[in-house]
Amino acid sequence: MTVRPRRLARRDFLKTSALALGASTFSLPTLIPARALGANERLTLGHVGVGGMGSYHLGYMLDRRNNPGDVSVAAVCDVDENRLATAIKRVGAGGTPYRDYRYLIERKDIDAVVFATPDHWHGVHMVHAAQCGKHVYVEKPACCTVEEGKAMIAAANAHRVCVQVGSQGRSQHDAYKAHLYIANGMLGRVRRVTCWHYASPADTHPVPDSEPPPELDWDLWLGPLAWRRYNRRYCPGTFRWVMESGGGQIRDRGAHVMSCALHFMDADYTGPVSIETKGTVPTQGLWDTAIDMEVTYEFKNPDWTLVWAQPGEPVPYPNQNHKERQKGYGAVYHGDQDQLVVWGGDGGTWTEAKATQFEKPPGGVDVPQSPRFDHHQDWFDGIKTGRRTIMNIEAGVCVAFLCVLGNLSLLLGRKLQWDPVKREILGDEEARRLMRRPQRYPYVL
Amino acid sequence: MNSNELKTAALGAGTATMIARAARSAGSVDDLIARIKSTDDTVRGPAWQNADSYGAPAVKSLAQVMTDPDFEIARAAKRALWKIVRYAGRPGGAGEAKAVTAQLIPLLATRPAPVRREVLWMLSEIAGDEAVTPMTALLSDAEVRDDARCALTRMPGDKVTAALKQAMGLVPEGFKFALADSLRSRGEKVAGYPSRKLVPTKQTSVKAIG
Repeated sequence: MTVRPRRLARRDFLKTSALALGASTFSLPTLIPARALGANERLTLGHVGVGGMGSYHLGYMLDRRNNPGDVSVAAVCDVDENRLATAIKRVGAGGTPYRDYRYLIERKDIDAVVFATPDHWHGVHMVHAAQCGKHVYVEKPACCTVEEGKAMIAAANAHRVCVQVGSQGRSQHDAYKAHLYIANGMLGRVRRVTCWHYASPADTHPVPDSEPPPELDWDLWLGPLAWRRYNRRYCPGTFRWVMESGGGQIRDRGAHVMSCALHFMDADYTGPVSIETKGTVPTQGLWDTAIDMEVTYEFKNPDWTLVWAQPGEPVPYPNQNHKERQKGYGAVYHGDQDQLVVWGGDGGTWTEAKATQFEKPPGGVDVPQSPRFDHHQDWFDGIKTGRRTIMNIEAGVCVAFLCVLGNLSLLLGRKLQWDPVKREILGDEEARRLMRRPQRYPYVL
Repeated sequence: MNSNELKTAALGAGTATMIARAARSAGSVDDLIARIKSTDDTVRGPAWQNADSYGAPAVKSLAQVMTDPDFEIARAAKRALWKIVRYAGRPGGAGEAKAVTAQLIPLLATRPAPVRREVLWMLSEIAGDEAVTPMTALLSDAEVRDDARCALTRMPGDKVTAALKQAMGLVPEGFKFALADSLRSRGEKVAGYPSRKLVPTKQTSVKAIG
């Protein structure tokens, strides 16, 4: 089976959106299919956001361009001209640089786009790319609001594009083994998963707002966010510590560690029924995400509890010779017969020997496995075969909702009730309004 | 509890509840404002973090401090105000939300745009129909009109929809595309003004290689 994305041509889009009954629904008859991809066909990629993780993704694809040669990189895009100049040099001849991602996603020769941008852009980027018929790899967390998450799922389904969310932990070898171990009942019934992660930073040397550096298009960096003046503490990289753009550790590593938790607990596509957060935030400075926090998620049918904690109760990796495994985050799976520790949860994921040495018994339960334990390869296979990726958009959104709701409970200072089927907050009008954050025009869903 | 005791308590780790109780017993808005205006973060920080229950009486004074030339003091006032808004918006706090809303609405006429912008977003979380007309008026304010549109878009109710529709006839031509998007997101049909969200506009100066 080959995936045939539906592309919404810009001209058609402009025409139909004038007639649309609602901006969030695009089930209109003007959708046209984009070109199909053969199993051995080279995939043409564009990269949006080429600093940080974006630089890593670009490097991966450029390596792959050379060997085995199954991809080509046609374009790179960034709102920072210095980063863009560096990236286009790496791509070399044949690549086109863009500041505005919309030039990139309207190109008919580009099959798929990798987005590695600050969180506040993920929803808009993914939805727009899907509407242009592109397959998408989008960095985690998938979304910043409930509305964004729902729009991302709807767009991927409506336009039949393959989406992989960048929580690559569940693609790793040891994650597969831990999952296999738990799914085959080696811990008994697991009723509690406790995550630990070191605290977020506070800005002890706040700086005033200022003019943005000349290489940065501040308007495009802000994109969907409400207008405000530039401050050096927003970027690059430090967007993570601003609630609106980065959401703190819970939206960064939480989207990894809790991704593994939902996956291992066979709870993808589900959600908790209540969320309660306690935490402390910095007393000064621009950064406003929790320094330390504890979020308790209660799940029903089956009943289990997930706890995200900064710092929580860290479990040091037992072999001190493995410095790379002392990552400062992970999770403990508490069963009624035994428990299992999983360290890390992102590109570096390790578990205990009893799980890595475990082999599925005859008639035992199997669990999803990424090809070659490679998250990107899983995406490519999804594009070419039409099967769901291991971290498809619906799974990614459900994990991101944990992060979003944990922060929302912190912001509001109260426990939230959640309907995991309708995916909406119950009984709290203010919190319900916060399920959406209308976006600055024209950077809208 | 005197102010020194309050400060000492503020310095203690894990004493948020105690501070909140102390702040309430200290009680006066003047005292809160004095602590918000402190240049000492160990005084100012706990003050804004525990401002939630000061409620409507503190709104106007805090808004004034949001324009303080010391950006950290201004930020502390803003965050204190957000604490009040989010506490007032809790389930069962409808009366308090109404009282805070009543204090916020006049602030929409405050001159510095960042204050108007912030107040619009605050109202988007807790305000009812009484705020729709004054918020809609800011759709004519070039500095904050898109914030007004966003804030209104977030609010439920037919009055908001009617106000957005009516505004289509009043706002500058270029802004009608944004307003049309808001109306469509509320399920309304809008003739013309197709979405511009996929229309690229920004050119890079970086050149391709070779």
